[in-house]
Amino acid sequence: MLSTKFSPMSKEEVDRKWWEIGDFFRRNSLWMLMYCTGCCAIELPPAMTSAYDMERLGMGPMATPRQADVLLVTGYLSLKTLRRLIYTYEQMSEPKYVVGFGSCTINGGIYHDSHAVINQLNKYVPVDVFVAGCMPNTESVMNGFIDLMDLIKNKKANGWKDYHERNDWYKANQKAALGEVKIHDEFHE
Amino acid sequence: MTNSMSNTEFVTNLVENQYKVLKTEVLDQYQIAFEVKKEDVHSILSLLKTSGWIQLSYLSAVDWIKDNEFEVVYIVFNWDKAVHIQIRTRLDRESASINSVLPIYPGCKYYEREAHEFFGIKFPGNPDYEKQLILENWDDIPPLRKDFDPRQYSDKKFSHMEYKNDFVNKDGKVSKQEAREKRFSDADKLRTGGKK
Repeated sequence: MLSTKFSPMSKEEVDRKWWEIGDFFRRNSLWMLMYCTGCCAIELPPAMTSAYDMERLGMGPMATPRQADVLLVTGYLSLKTLRRLIYTYEQMSEPKYVVGFGSCTINGGIYHDSHAVINQLNKYVPVDVFVAGCMPNTESVMNGFIDLMDLIKNKKANGWKDYHERNDWYKANQKAALGEVKIHDEFHE
Repeated sequence: MTNSMSNTEFVTNLVENQYKVLKTEVLDQYQIAFEVKKEDVHSILSLLKTSGWIQLSYLSAVDWIKDNEFEVVYIVFNWDKAVHIQIRTRLDRESASINSVLPIYPGCKYYEREAHEFFGIKFPGNPDYEKQLILENWDDIPPLRKDFDPRQYSDKKFSHMEYKNDFVNKDGKVSKQEAREKRFSDADKLRTGGKK
């Protein structure tokens, strides 16, 4: 007679369990990398300090991309910054999530007809959560972070997997907008 | 300089006594602009530098497309006398080129690169005015020229978000915004007694 206390699990099941455990700890301890080139970045100081106190959600700032979980893109991105953003995104260790702030990352916002600013961020890097508004107020920023945690819990924050699966599509979009993703910087060459 | 003379009068005398100025414009007590010929720009700037305007605050251009000309503006700044001086000169739009002021104001290096990138003005004498500075891999005419259409470029290069649902008012109700505007205009009428 087989024991009821222990039934062997398949490898997939074991992996899934470990991912669930990992996701539990990850979503309660998110380290953010803030790519604050847009004006929505002004919403982060009240969100991080005593007014809304982001740390009660377990979120904190991180200085380097390699140790961060969440990439915050606060607002518009010019072609020059998009190039650096892609570098930064690809340096982050997996699993990684992206939060896009403001209407600029959704459809270009007030820069929809600018020669320098991209219109749709999720064509170039996968975005898990958008926080709409120009600019979004701090409550909606906090709400966006809670949404991200829920997405991680429900296994729907799969942007980084999508970046693997549809890498050709993302790379083609990047190439169409940027010409060349490689950075040629006269000060470092 | 006598004490009775204001700073702008001092500058006007200094420049107009030695050079042919096409147009002088006193913007306020702290700003004065001279429009001069292209040949005089460098000697006027060196005169101003020796007279105390030691800093080039800004160098940029204006596109006067109807006149088919670019106007290059040099703004110089004095730390002792509170006057900003603008030296403006017109260049032909088709072959816009003016010698660099790098020997006079070394700080112009990046301003000239920027002006070249955004307007296409050439600055011979500046060794790397043609290098890219802000726009990387630019593939169109310089973007701050008036005949450049940013919307067309944006539509061509960056796709727009496609929305699945059409958010229109289908049941014919008055939208909240219209109702609010009507309320405000009614309130205005009451306030003014029906008069505009």
